[in-house]
Amino acid sequence: MRKLSYSIESPAVPPRQRNWWVYLLLAVVCALNVLPYLWVVLTGFMDGASASAPTPQWLFTPSLEAFQFLIVDKGILKNFFNSVIVSFSSTFLSVTIGMFCAYALARYEFVGRDDVSFWVLTNRMMPPVAVLIPIFVIFQTVGLLDSLIGLIILYTAMQLPFVVWMLTGYFRDIPRRYEESAMVDGDTWFAAFRKVTLPVMMPSITATAIFVMILSWNEFAFATFLTSNNAKTMPPAVMAYSIGADIRWNVLGAAVVLITAPIILFVLLLQRQFISGLSQGVVRK
Amino acid sequence: MSISENTTTAAPITFGERSFLSGFGPSNRKVFPWVLMAPTLIILFAIGIFPFLYSLYIAGHNFILSKPYIPRFFVGLYQYQAVVQDPEFWHALRKTLIFTVEAVFIQFWLGLGLALLFQRQLRGIALMRVFILIPMILPPLVAALIWRYMFYPGAGLVTYYVGGITRALGLGEIPFLSNPTIAFQTLVFVDVWEWTPFMFLMLSAGLASIPRQPYEAAEIDGAGSWRVFWTITMPLLRPAILIAVIIRTMDAFRTYELIVIMTRGGPGNATTTLNVFLTKTGLEFFDASKAAALSLIMMMIIVVMSFVFIRVFRSKTEVAE
Repeated sequence: MRKLSYSIESPAVPPRQRNWWVYLLLAVVCALNVLPYLWVVLTGFMDGASASAPTPQWLFTPSLEAFQFLIVDKGILKNFFNSVIVSFSSTFLSVTIGMFCAYALARYEFVGRDDVSFWVLTNRMMPPVAVLIPIFVIFQTVGLLDSLIGLIILYTAMQLPFVVWMLTGYFRDIPRRYEESAMVDGDTWFAAFRKVTLPVMMPSITATAIFVMILSWNEFAFATFLTSNNAKTMPPAVMAYSIGADIRWNVLGAAVVLITAPIILFVLLLQRQFISGLSQGVVRK
Repeated sequence: MSISENTTTAAPITFGERSFLSGFGPSNRKVFPWVLMAPTLIILFAIGIFPFLYSLYIAGHNFILSKPYIPRFFVGLYQYQAVVQDPEFWHALRKTLIFTVEAVFIQFWLGLGLALLFQRQLRGIALMRVFILIPMILPPLVAALIWRYMFYPGAGLVTYYVGGITRALGLGEIPFLSNPTIAFQTLVFVDVWEWTPFMFLMLSAGLASIPRQPYEAAEIDGAGSWRVFWTITMPLLRPAILIAVIIRTMDAFRTYELIVIMTRGGPGNATTTLNVFLTKTGLEFFDASKAAALSLIMMMIIVVMSFVFIRVFRSKTEVAE
């Protein structure tokens, strides 16, 4: 009986005593997952001499030399703001547009619904590099190469399947009664959607938006080949300063700090939404 | 199920005054969903289908991006033939498959192990979860840069500490990125580091959704934990496993940043996967047509793979039910 009451807390594995080896194992895993990143972050605050010393310098006097190089000499903040603009706009667009599609898929029964839903998802299967060349040629023809607008359109399209997929599941969970009662009260469809459905959906929409924003922020292949000076976002910029014949490790570290700071901050602040958002897809299918 | 119920019980909807537009409004339950979906479908068509058709077109011609003055003409299936007859293609395909299978296999078991450990009531579990998730939150570019640095001869932490140990043992330095076989395994290692957290997260969510009654029944029957794992946990976890493995397989198949940054496909062509081969063909040799043919072949492989996966798992799931 005693054992049974345990399995209520933890369904899949009936836990035995809390073993010290579990903690040890998890501590090792955590260290392995965090230390490499932490070390690179530390390197970003070293001066050139400590960063290139032959033995790892765990204790050093902090220096902002690398940040100064990137921000003042190289003007990396422009790339940073390009990234901010592109990821915010594409997230806003893909969530706003995809929301209605997800709503239709979740709420209406119509001919070809399953086909549409499957087709939307297959758009995610394509390897980015595979569509890179046609998109490069198209952008070249239309004049969208090296423009923020081009990237925003592209990222919006790239994230749409994911947004639709996740939000369809969430919409299905909301009882239809809510909207119906609002519409019986004389509201139009859109008013009911805005006043009733949207507020209930807000947490799920936020979770989706966070996830999509991170994907846009991290995108590398398209950003590298479709932008050069004007619209270069963070990933290609970071790449440019971190690889080459004369690598300065502290510059690599500082670049990594700049590109990851917003994500880490976001995830720490919105940890719960992020994790639930990520794992939703599995649970509901 | 619930949808068809909803449809029949829907309240009559009014949409202001009758006008031409109201024919497409919410009162028309046949047309209105298409109105709602139109923006999404148009954008996906423009950025998804159109490039695909354009790829077909390019692959049927002789586009060399660096030589736009060469007259372009229709070449039929020549480009596909060129790809299939290129030994480099088969080499890259083999490398890609080995990389994908090996990485996903290791990630799956490590992720499952971690997810099972997290089923226990542990102190500080939330914090540990965040720590464990860090590699997958980082941009793939950054993960690759970090490990490039870690493994860099004469500079990285790994080369320093591991090299110290191997030198003391008289083995000399380990050529992490300069020996073909070891470089390939190094890439697998980094991919495992980066994406095991994803498996862990997906499988944790799957474990959390398993009802607890079967476990109680097994407890009463006195089944051992090993048997419980294979007869209850694994079958019930199957849907989660299916999705996690498909997503990871598709992503591992097209791993890009990691390889381009850490080895650029080298040494030699030891780590040239299809994606790297594709990039070389299209964006270094500017042979757009051959690259387009290659990308279409790649897409076919991915579609067939996910189809087979879904089929195999579906049939097994149905048997289990």
